[in-house]
Amino acid sequence: MEELDLLKKDWNKRNSFEQVTEHEIYKMRHKTSSSIVKWLLAISIIEFSFWILLTLILNDEKYQVKLHRYGIEDCMFWVNAINYAVLVLFIFFFYKNYRTISTTDSTRQLMGNILKTRKTVQYYIWYNLGIVTVNIILSILMLFYHNAQMQSLMEDATAKGHKEIFILMCSGISLVFIALIIGIFWLFYRLLYGILLKKLFVNYKELKKIDL
Amino acid sequence: MDPELEQLFVKQLKENQNIIHKICRLYTSGEDAHKDLFQEITIQLWKAFPKFRGDSKFSTWAYRVALNTAITLYRKSTRSVQTSSFDTTNHFIKQEEYNYEEEEQIKLMYDAVYQLNDIEKALVFMYLEDKDYQEISETLGISEVNARVKMNRIKTKLKKILNP
Repeated sequence: MEELDLLKKDWNKRNSFEQVTEHEIYKMRHKTSSSIVKWLLAISIIEFSFWILLTLILNDEKYQVKLHRYGIEDCMFWVNAINYAVLVLFIFFFYKNYRTISTTDSTRQLMGNILKTRKTVQYYIWYNLGIVTVNIILSILMLFYHNAQMQSLMEDATAKGHKEIFILMCSGISLVFIALIIGIFWLFYRLLYGILLKKLFVNYKELKKIDL
Repeated sequence: MDPELEQLFVKQLKENQNIIHKICRLYTSGEDAHKDLFQEITIQLWKAFPKFRGDSKFSTWAYRVALNTAITLYRKSTRSVQTSSFDTTNHFIKQEEYNYEEEEQIKLMYDAVYQLNDIEKALVFMYLEDKDYQEISETLGISEVNARVKMNRIKTKLKKILNP
Protein backbone atom coordinates (compact mmCIF):
# COMPACT_ATOMS: atom_id res chain seq x y z
CA MET A 1 0.00 0.00 0.00
CA GLU A 2 1.19 3.48 -0.84
CA GLU A 3 2.34 5.38 2.21
CA LEU A 4 0.12 8.34 1.41
CA ASP A 5 -2.93 6.13 1.09
CA LEU A 6 -2.28 4.81 4.54
CA LEU A 7 -2.22 8.37 5.72
CA LYS A 8 -5.41 9.11 3.82
CA LYS A 9 -7.16 6.34 5.67
CA ASP A 10 -6.17 7.95 8.91
CA TRP A 11 -6.63 11.56 7.82
CA ASN A 12 -10.36 11.81 8.27
CA LYS A 13 -10.38 9.93 11.54
CA ARG A 14 -8.22 12.54 13.24
CA ASN A 15 -10.75 15.23 13.71
CA SER A 16 -10.83 15.69 17.42
CA PHE A 17 -9.83 19.32 17.26
CA GLU A 18 -10.74 21.62 20.05
CA GLN A 19 -13.84 23.22 18.57
CA VAL A 20 -14.08 26.97 18.25
CA THR A 21 -17.41 28.36 19.44
CA GLU A 22 -19.62 30.83 17.57
CA HIS A 23 -18.80 33.48 20.13
CA GLU A 24 -15.08 33.00 19.53
CA ILE A 25 -15.57 33.29 15.76
CA TYR A 26 -17.49 36.55 16.27
CA LYS A 27 -14.58 37.87 18.32
CA MET A 28 -11.89 36.69 15.90
CA ARG A 29 -13.55 38.38 12.98
CA HIS A 30 -13.01 41.80 14.52
CA LYS A 31 -9.34 41.25 15.23
CA THR A 32 -6.85 43.05 13.03
CA SER A 33 -5.21 41.05 10.33
CA SER A 34 -1.44 40.76 10.48
CA SER A 35 -1.15 39.50 6.92
CA ILE A 36 1.64 40.68 4.65
CA VAL A 37 -0.91 42.51 2.49
CA LYS A 38 -1.83 44.62 5.48
CA TRP A 39 1.84 45.31 6.16
CA LEU A 40 2.47 46.12 2.53
CA LEU A 41 -0.38 48.63 2.55
CA ALA A 42 0.90 50.28 5.74
CA ILE A 43 4.48 50.50 4.50
CA SER A 44 3.36 51.86 1.12
CA ILE A 45 1.29 54.59 2.74
CA ILE A 46 4.31 55.54 4.88
CA GLU A 47 6.50 55.63 1.77
CA PHE A 48 4.12 57.82 -0.18
CA SER A 49 3.71 60.15 2.82
CA PHE A 50 7.47 60.31 3.31
CA TRP A 51 8.12 61.63 -0.18
CA ILE A 52 5.18 64.04 -0.07
CA LEU A 53 6.35 65.42 3.28
CA LEU A 54 9.91 65.70 2.05
CA THR A 55 8.79 67.73 -0.96
CA LEU A 56 6.65 69.97 1.22
CA ILE A 57 9.37 70.54 3.81
CA LEU A 58 12.06 71.32 1.25
CA ASN A 59 9.74 73.57 -0.71
CA ASP A 60 9.76 76.40 1.84
CA GLU A 61 9.97 80.12 1.19
CA LYS A 62 13.75 80.23 1.37
CA TYR A 63 13.90 77.65 -1.35
CA GLN A 64 11.50 79.65 -3.50
CA VAL A 65 13.63 82.79 -3.08
CA LYS A 66 16.71 80.82 -4.09
CA LEU A 67 14.96 79.46 -7.15
CA HIS A 68 13.92 82.96 -8.08
CA ARG A 69 17.47 84.20 -7.75
CA TYR A 70 18.74 81.39 -9.92
CA GLY A 71 16.06 82.19 -12.48
CA ILE A 72 14.65 78.65 -12.59
CA GLU A 73 11.41 79.32 -10.77
CA ASP A 74 9.20 78.62 -13.80
CA CYS A 75 11.11 75.52 -14.69
CA MET A 76 10.83 74.16 -11.15
CA PHE A 77 7.11 74.89 -11.09
CA TRP A 78 6.64 72.51 -14.00
CA VAL A 79 8.95 69.94 -12.51
CA ASN A 80 6.84 70.00 -9.35
CA ALA A 81 3.59 69.81 -11.31
CA ILE A 82 4.84 66.75 -13.18
CA ASN A 83 6.06 65.25 -9.92
CA TYR A 84 2.63 65.49 -8.33
CA ALA A 85 0.96 64.11 -11.44
CA VAL A 86 3.33 61.14 -11.34
CA LEU A 87 2.61 60.64 -7.64
CA VAL A 88 -1.15 60.57 -8.30
CA LEU A 89 -0.58 58.08 -11.10
CA PHE A 90 1.50 55.84 -8.86
CA ILE A 91 -1.11 55.96 -6.09
CA PHE A 92 -3.79 55.11 -8.63
CA PHE A 93 -1.86 52.10 -9.91
CA PHE A 94 -1.04 51.04 -6.39
CA TYR A 95 -4.68 51.21 -5.38
CA LYS A 96 -5.75 49.35 -8.51
CA ASN A 97 -3.25 46.55 -7.88
CA TYR A 98 -4.11 46.44 -4.20
CA ARG A 99 -7.79 45.98 -5.03
CA THR A 100 -7.06 43.00 -7.27
CA ILE A 101 -5.48 41.05 -4.41
CA SER A 102 -8.00 38.37 -3.63
CA THR A 103 -7.64 35.31 -1.44
CA THR A 104 -10.08 33.42 -3.66
CA ASP A 105 -7.67 33.57 -6.62
CA SER A 106 -5.29 30.74 -7.30
CA THR A 107 -2.21 30.77 -5.08
CA ARG A 108 0.06 31.68 -7.94
CA GLN A 109 -2.12 34.55 -9.11
CA LEU A 110 -2.47 35.84 -5.57
CA MET A 111 1.29 35.84 -5.10
CA GLY A 112 1.77 37.52 -8.47
CA ASN A 113 -0.69 40.27 -7.58
CA ILE A 114 0.97 40.90 -4.22
CA LEU A 115 4.37 41.19 -5.86
CA LYS A 116 2.92 43.52 -8.50
CA THR A 117 1.52 45.78 -5.81
CA ARG A 118 4.85 45.93 -4.09
CA LYS A 119 6.63 46.63 -7.36
CA THR A 120 4.45 49.71 -7.97
CA VAL A 121 5.73 51.26 -4.76
CA GLN A 122 9.24 50.15 -5.53
CA TYR A 123 9.13 51.87 -8.91
CA TYR A 124 7.92 54.98 -7.17
CA ILE A 125 10.89 54.86 -4.83
CA TRP A 126 13.31 54.44 -7.73
CA TYR A 127 11.61 57.27 -9.56
CA ASN A 128 12.12 59.45 -6.51
CA LEU A 129 15.73 58.42 -6.16
CA GLY A 130 16.16 59.42 -9.82
CA ILE A 131 14.66 62.81 -9.04
CA VAL A 132 16.93 63.13 -6.00
CA THR A 133 19.94 62.37 -8.20
CA VAL A 134 18.91 64.97 -10.79
CA ASN A 135 18.33 67.45 -7.97
CA ILE A 136 21.77 66.88 -6.51
CA ILE A 137 23.40 67.32 -9.92
CA LEU A 138 21.41 70.49 -10.56
CA SER A 139 22.28 71.85 -7.11
CA ILE A 140 25.96 71.28 -7.73
CA LEU A 141 25.75 73.01 -11.10
CA MET A 142 23.91 75.89 -9.46
CA LEU A 143 26.63 76.05 -6.82
CA PHE A 144 29.24 76.33 -9.54
CA TYR A 145 27.43 79.11 -11.33
CA HIS A 146 25.85 81.10 -8.55
CA ASN A 147 27.69 80.51 -5.28
CA ALA A 148 30.28 83.21 -4.62
CA GLN A 149 32.41 80.98 -2.40
CA MET A 150 32.43 78.24 -4.96
CA GLN A 151 33.34 80.67 -7.69
CA SER A 152 36.30 82.02 -5.77
CA LEU A 153 37.49 78.44 -5.14
CA MET A 154 37.13 77.75 -8.83
CA GLU A 155 39.06 80.90 -9.73
CA ASP A 156 41.79 79.87 -7.32
CA ALA A 157 42.03 76.49 -8.95
CA THR A 158 42.04 78.00 -12.42
CA ALA A 159 44.83 80.39 -11.42
CA LYS A 160 46.90 77.48 -10.20
CA GLY A 161 46.12 75.57 -13.38
CA HIS A 162 44.13 72.85 -11.52
CA LYS A 163 40.76 73.63 -13.07
CA GLU A 164 40.19 70.13 -14.49
CA ILE A 165 41.31 68.45 -11.31
CA PHE A 166 39.01 70.68 -9.27
CA ILE A 167 35.99 69.89 -11.47
CA LEU A 168 36.85 66.21 -11.42
CA MET A 169 37.13 66.24 -7.65
CA CYS A 170 33.80 67.98 -7.22
CA SER A 171 32.13 65.51 -9.60
CA GLY A 172 33.75 62.63 -7.75
CA ILE A 173 32.50 63.82 -4.38
CA SER A 174 28.99 64.32 -5.78
CA LEU A 175 28.99 60.85 -7.31
CA VAL A 176 30.03 59.25 -4.03
CA PHE A 177 27.33 61.24 -2.26
CA ILE A 178 24.65 60.10 -4.75
CA ALA A 179 25.84 56.49 -4.57
CA LEU A 180 25.71 56.65 -0.78
CA ILE A 181 22.11 57.87 -0.72
CA ILE A 182 20.96 55.29 -3.24
CA GLY A 183 22.95 52.60 -1.44
CA ILE A 184 21.31 53.37 1.89
CA PHE A 185 17.85 53.24 0.32
CA TRP A 186 18.62 50.03 -1.51
CA LEU A 187 19.89 48.37 1.65
CA PHE A 188 16.87 49.58 3.61
CA TYR A 189 14.46 48.13 1.07
CA ARG A 190 16.34 44.88 0.75
CA LEU A 191 16.05 44.46 4.49
CA LEU A 192 12.45 45.63 4.79
CA TYR A 193 11.00 43.59 1.95
CA GLY A 194 13.47 40.80 2.46
CA ILE A 195 12.10 40.20 5.93
CA LEU A 196 8.49 40.80 4.97
CA LEU A 197 8.33 38.80 1.77
CA LYS A 198 10.95 36.11 2.24
CA LYS A 199 8.43 33.34 2.67
CA LEU A 200 6.33 34.55 -0.23
CA PHE A 201 9.33 34.66 -2.55
CA VAL A 202 10.38 31.14 -1.60
CA ASN A 203 6.89 29.77 -2.20
CA TYR A 204 6.42 31.73 -5.43
CA LYS A 205 9.67 30.34 -6.80
CA GLU A 206 8.64 26.85 -5.76
CA LEU A 207 5.32 27.20 -7.61
CA LYS A 208 6.99 28.55 -10.72
CA LYS A 209 9.46 25.70 -10.64
CA ILE A 210 6.62 23.18 -10.85
CA ASP A 211 5.37 24.73 -14.07
CA LEU A 212 8.77 24.99 -15.75
CA MET B 1 -22.36 45.11 8.53
CA ASP B 2 -25.28 42.92 7.60
CA PRO B 3 -26.11 40.93 10.75
CA GLU B 4 -27.74 38.17 8.73
CA LEU B 5 -24.60 37.73 6.66
CA GLU B 6 -22.55 37.73 9.82
CA GLN B 7 -24.70 35.07 11.40
CA LEU B 8 -24.57 32.92 8.28
CA PHE B 9 -20.81 33.23 8.17
CA VAL B 10 -20.30 32.30 11.80
CA LYS B 11 -22.64 29.34 11.48
CA GLN B 12 -20.99 28.02 8.30
CA LEU B 13 -17.50 28.46 9.66
CA LYS B 14 -18.38 26.72 12.90
CA GLU B 15 -19.77 23.75 10.99
CA ASN B 16 -16.79 23.57 8.64
CA GLN B 17 -14.02 24.44 11.05
CA ASN B 18 -12.32 21.07 10.89
CA ILE B 19 -10.97 21.73 7.41
CA ILE B 20 -9.36 24.94 8.69
CA HIS B 21 -7.97 23.09 11.71
CA LYS B 22 -6.43 20.52 9.40
CA ILE B 23 -4.61 23.23 7.47
CA CYS B 24 -3.45 24.88 10.69
CA ARG B 25 -2.18 21.55 11.94
CA LEU B 26 -0.25 21.01 8.73
CA TYR B 27 1.32 24.45 8.64
CA THR B 28 2.04 25.18 12.27
CA SER B 29 3.47 23.45 15.25
CA GLY B 30 2.24 24.24 18.71
CA GLU B 31 -1.10 25.32 20.02
CA ASP B 32 -0.45 29.08 19.95
CA ALA B 33 0.66 29.11 16.34
CA HIS B 34 -2.33 26.95 15.43
CA LYS B 35 -4.72 29.44 17.05
CA ASP B 36 -2.92 32.39 15.49
CA LEU B 37 -3.19 31.00 11.98
CA PHE B 38 -6.81 29.98 12.60
CA GLN B 39 -7.57 33.57 13.55
CA GLU B 40 -5.85 35.02 10.48
CA ILE B 41 -7.75 32.58 8.25
CA THR B 42 -11.02 33.59 9.93
CA ILE B 43 -10.26 37.27 9.24
CA GLN B 44 -9.45 36.54 5.60
CA LEU B 45 -12.54 34.36 5.19
CA TRP B 46 -14.76 37.05 6.64
CA LYS B 47 -13.20 39.65 4.34
CA ALA B 48 -13.87 37.47 1.31
CA PHE B 49 -17.29 36.24 2.45
CA PRO B 50 -19.42 38.96 0.77
CA LYS B 51 -18.10 37.67 -2.55
CA PHE B 52 -18.95 34.07 -1.72
CA ARG B 53 -21.83 33.31 -4.06
CA GLY B 54 -22.72 29.91 -2.79
CA ASP B 55 -22.22 28.28 -6.18
CA SER B 56 -19.62 26.08 -4.55
CA LYS B 57 -19.74 24.47 -1.16
CA PHE B 58 -18.63 26.63 1.75
CA SER B 59 -15.95 24.11 2.65
CA THR B 60 -14.54 24.12 -0.90
CA TRP B 61 -14.41 27.87 -0.95
CA ALA B 62 -13.03 28.10 2.57
CA TYR B 63 -10.15 25.67 2.18
CA ARG B 64 -8.90 27.65 -0.81
CA VAL B 65 -8.83 30.91 1.12
CA ALA B 66 -7.32 29.09 4.09
CA LEU B 67 -4.52 27.55 2.01
CA ASN B 68 -3.77 30.90 0.40
CA THR B 69 -3.61 32.50 3.81
CA ALA B 70 -1.26 29.84 5.16
CA ILE B 71 1.04 29.84 2.14
CA THR B 72 0.96 33.46 1.05
CA LEU B 73 -0.48 35.92 3.53
CA TYR B 74 0.59 34.53 6.86
CA ARG B 75 3.72 36.40 7.81
CA LYS B 76 5.25 34.07 10.30
CA SER B 77 7.17 31.24 8.80
CA THR B 78 4.79 28.34 8.62
CA ARG B 79 7.42 25.79 7.96
CA SER B 80 8.09 23.68 10.94
CA VAL B 81 11.75 23.31 11.72
CA GLN B 82 11.71 20.49 14.13
CA THR B 83 10.72 17.02 13.16
CA SER B 84 8.57 14.78 15.30
CA SER B 85 6.49 17.82 16.06
CA PHE B 86 3.27 16.11 15.24
CA ASP B 87 1.69 14.75 18.30
CA THR B 88 -0.45 11.91 17.10
CA THR B 89 -1.90 11.05 20.44
CA ASN B 90 -3.35 14.52 20.71
CA HIS B 91 -5.59 14.17 17.72
CA PHE B 92 -6.28 10.55 17.76
CA ILE B 93 -9.68 9.12 18.47
CA LYS B 94 -9.16 6.01 20.49
CA GLN B 95 -10.49 2.93 18.88
CA GLU B 96 -11.33 -0.37 20.45
CA GLU B 97 -8.40 -2.05 18.82
CA TYR B 98 -5.78 -0.68 16.60
CA ASN B 99 -2.69 -1.79 14.93
CA TYR B 100 0.35 -0.51 16.82
CA GLU B 101 2.64 -1.06 13.89
CA GLU B 102 0.34 0.81 11.56
CA GLU B 103 -0.05 3.54 14.14
CA GLU B 104 3.70 3.97 14.34
CA GLN B 105 3.95 4.12 10.58
CA ILE B 106 1.24 6.76 10.39
CA LYS B 107 3.09 8.86 12.95
CA LEU B 108 6.24 8.63 10.85
CA MET B 109 4.23 9.63 7.79
CA TYR B 110 2.94 12.77 9.52
CA ASP B 111 6.50 13.63 10.52
CA ALA B 112 7.62 13.18 6.93
CA VAL B 113 4.83 15.41 5.61
CA TYR B 114 5.96 18.03 8.11
CA GLN B 115 9.34 18.15 6.44
CA LEU B 116 7.86 19.12 3.07
CA ASN B 117 7.79 22.71 1.94
CA ASP B 118 4.65 24.88 1.97
CA ILE B 119 3.64 24.14 -1.62
CA GLU B 120 4.20 20.41 -1.28
CA LYS B 121 2.13 20.40 1.89
CA ALA B 122 -0.70 22.07 -0.02
CA LEU B 123 -0.61 19.34 -2.65
CA VAL B 124 -0.57 16.63 0.00
CA PHE B 125 -3.44 18.31 1.81
CA MET B 126 -5.60 18.35 -1.31
CA TYR B 127 -4.63 14.79 -2.11
CA LEU B 128 -5.67 13.68 1.36
CA GLU B 129 -8.90 15.64 0.98
CA ASP B 130 -9.63 13.67 -2.21
CA LYS B 131 -9.50 16.67 -4.51
CA ASP B 132 -9.01 15.82 -8.17
CA TYR B 133 -6.06 17.14 -10.16
CA GLN B 134 -8.19 19.67 -11.96
CA GLU B 135 -9.10 21.28 -8.67
CA ILE B 136 -5.54 21.05 -7.38
CA SER B 137 -4.23 22.76 -10.51
CA GLU B 138 -6.86 25.49 -10.30
CA THR B 139 -6.24 26.12 -6.62
CA LEU B 140 -2.49 26.48 -6.95
CA GLY B 141 -2.46 28.00 -10.43
CA ILE B 142 -0.31 25.34 -12.07
CA SER B 143 -1.12 23.04 -14.98
CA GLU B 144 -2.92 19.77 -14.32
CA VAL B 145 -0.13 17.70 -15.85
CA ASN B 146 2.48 19.39 -13.70
CA ALA B 147 0.35 18.97 -10.60
CA ARG B 148 0.30 15.23 -11.31
CA VAL B 149 4.05 15.13 -11.93
CA LYS B 150 4.72 17.09 -8.75
CA MET B 151 2.45 14.82 -6.71
CA ASN B 152 4.38 11.79 -7.90
CA ARG B 153 7.64 13.49 -6.97
CA ILE B 154 6.28 14.23 -3.53
CA LYS B 155 5.36 10.58 -3.08
CA THR B 156 8.91 9.62 -4.00
CA LYS B 157 10.28 12.27 -1.68
CA LEU B 158 8.15 10.98 1.19
CA LYS B 159 9.35 7.46 0.51
CA LYS B 160 12.92 8.66 0.70
CA ILE B 161 12.31 10.47 3.97
CA LEU B 162 10.72 7.34 5.41
CA ASN B 163 13.35 4.94 4.11
CA PRO B 164 16.61 6.85 4.05
